[in-house]
Amino acid sequence: MTDIVSERDDATILLVDDNAQNLKVLYETLKDRGYRLLIANEGEKALALAERHQPEVILLDIMMPGMDGYEVCQRLKGNPDTADGAVVFLSALDDVDAKVKGFSLGGADYISKPFQAQEVIARVATHARVIQLERQLQERNRQLESDQARILNAISEGIYGLTRDGEIIFANPAAGAMLGVEPQELVGRNFFELHFGDVADAGSLPVMGTCREGVAEHQRGITLQRPDGDTFPAEYRSSPKLEEDDVLGAVVVFRDISAELENERALDEARETVDAQRDQLAHASRLSTMGEMAAGFAHEVNQPLTAISNYVRVSARILAADDLNRDLAQQTLQKIEAQAHRASEVIRRIRSFVKKPATGKEVINVASLLEETRQFAEVDARTNQVAVELDIDDDVPDVLADPIQVQQVALNLIRNALEATRSARSTDPVHVRASMIDASHVRIEVLDRGVGLPEDAEDKLFHPFFTTKQEGMGIGLALCRSLIQSQGGEIGFERPDEGGARFYFTLPVAPVTAEQPVEEASE
Amino acid sequence: MSENTETVFVVEDDEAVRDSLELLLKSSDKAVETFATANAFLSSYNEDMAGCIVLDIRMPGMDGMELQRHLNEKNSILPIIFVTGHGDVPMAVDAMKQGAVDFIQKPYREEDLLKKIEQALEQDREQRKTLGQKQEIMRRINMLTPRETEIMDRMIAGQANKVIAIELDISQRTVEIHRSRVMHKMGTHSLAHLVRMVMSVKDRIDAS
Repeated sequence: MTDIVSERDDATILLVDDNAQNLKVLYETLKDRGYRLLIANEGEKALALAERHQPEVILLDIMMPGMDGYEVCQRLKGNPDTADGAVVFLSALDDVDAKVKGFSLGGADYISKPFQAQEVIARVATHARVIQLERQLQERNRQLESDQARILNAISEGIYGLTRDGEIIFANPAAGAMLGVEPQELVGRNFFELHFGDVADAGSLPVMGTCREGVAEHQRGITLQRPDGDTFPAEYRSSPKLEEDDVLGAVVVFRDISAELENERALDEARETVDAQRDQLAHASRLSTMGEMAAGFAHEVNQPLTAISNYVRVSARILAADDLNRDLAQQTLQKIEAQAHRASEVIRRIRSFVKKPATGKEVINVASLLEETRQFAEVDARTNQVAVELDIDDDVPDVLADPIQVQQVALNLIRNALEATRSARSTDPVHVRASMIDASHVRIEVLDRGVGLPEDAEDKLFHPFFTTKQEGMGIGLALCRSLIQSQGGEIGFERPDEGGARFYFTLPVAPVTAEQPVEEASE
Repeated sequence: MSENTETVFVVEDDEAVRDSLELLLKSSDKAVETFATANAFLSSYNEDMAGCIVLDIRMPGMDGMELQRHLNEKNSILPIIFVTGHGDVPMAVDAMKQGAVDFIQKPYREEDLLKKIEQALEQDREQRKTLGQKQEIMRRINMLTPRETEIMDRMIAGQANKVIAIELDISQRTVEIHRSRVMHKMGTHSLAHLVRMVMSVKDRIDAS
């Protein structure tokens, strides 16, 4: 395509000869071939025309009165506007010296007089095409260079071109702006001295590996000096300039990350605040759960107290009897002790649950945590007259999570399930299952045959302040989600075909510790 | 335990409470029978049981209130003492409306519990006695002939022999014979006693 266009794209041919007859013959030979033909019969005219029209090919007679062909050629080549045209000498001088001189002055070719029309046509066509292509190429190069310059200027990262020794041979405007100087002022300075001060005792500095070994580098959080002695945190990437296997230098792209670091710090702070608030909310929510369950707990404590009080009376009577039954007295005292433990166990459970704030992540045995939670929930199960059944797969591994927060989530889901079951006037037990779903997660699900969930629950169930309960605040599930997410797990629900609801959450499996006894593994 | 032995029936799901209560009552020389669930009690219930029930109001499965309803349907007259927890007063009030004799909050003092049990047993004895008397009265009334019953109704209504004789168109002498047979069969010599006896079972006669 380009070839055709370039051929059709009128090339300009300048014919220079002092002999009108010769000019006429050349003109006749080349006319009607798609060229724009210019004619000059002496040197000065030829130069003027060439400067104005920048011909691709100049057919130039050597022997001319006044300025001869050699001088015309010399001057054409000396003027940047006309230097790229192909000069084809025309002369009867058919000796080697003349040709050599012509070439040495920048001539492209040589046609001997008397010339053959076919030869002229062929040589002109070839040179015209070569020059046209060359000009297109140059035009494209210029465009590329200006695009590149525009990119380098527009880019917000600083860019350096370095020699192997670290001398700056190029710096873009952004580099200058970042350092508070004009980019030209950076050129010629040593990258390492400029940015790291006294280099003498420096072992290995950033970018050095790229300059010396040709290894690409990337580092965040390095400290760079400015020319005024000030410093700033930066991130950079450096890649080597290679030719074959030789390292010529490096290109360094860098940027000031002070603002970024500041943002990150602010983000970290915000995250910490959110975490602290979540923990506080979780704690408040645990207290409120305990409040709701207070009657149940009072009952749980009253049972052993009642038994103790009864046993004490019995003991008193045994002791007062005429024939003291020591065995019976002892048995009764043991029963009293057992009941006292039972009461204190309930209180221990409550205290550990409301402990403030969470204790942090631990390796947790899923079965015992859920068993403890079930005993907790039993307080409600009694009120609701619905049993809670545990079903834990044998291969469920320990998980890494905050035990109190996990218990809080499990208790919340179980209590919801009990309430849903009661609302449906069902007595089907609530099932709590734990299983391993993949190598890294354990899934715990709470299944009920209760009233189920409203159709549009998917969109908002875990959002704050959404509730389907009359007295609910809509905090429970939103908090559960936040708690589970902070453990690195997920929470969700499904609608079983048989009705009711199945809520689940996942927890990350605890990493296996290396110092596990060998015997245990072989068992 | 056999029928008619005055027994305290303890219905309580908590094993420790049940066990300690059993020991406690036995050491106070009470006959005790314990049940871990309302259902267990209900299935061994019969109307000859005497004594009282100490019933936990809050139990998994059938709770105390529900058991009370079932017993009411069976016309049980066993007095019930509900044992309640801390927050169960509204439930206890309901239970009282359903005919429970009393309730007591856990943990309770032995004296209070025993006192309530004594009162309940006393009430049961009373009820059983009256129930026994009424059954005797009914037995006797059922021995009367239709004529005698008619005459007795008029006696209770306060009609004199002469009036009865005229209204039934029989001799005064015949009325007197019937009248003495009624008194004999009903086992009394006093018209006032007869009136009270019949009035005490009036609801049963009306029902039959």
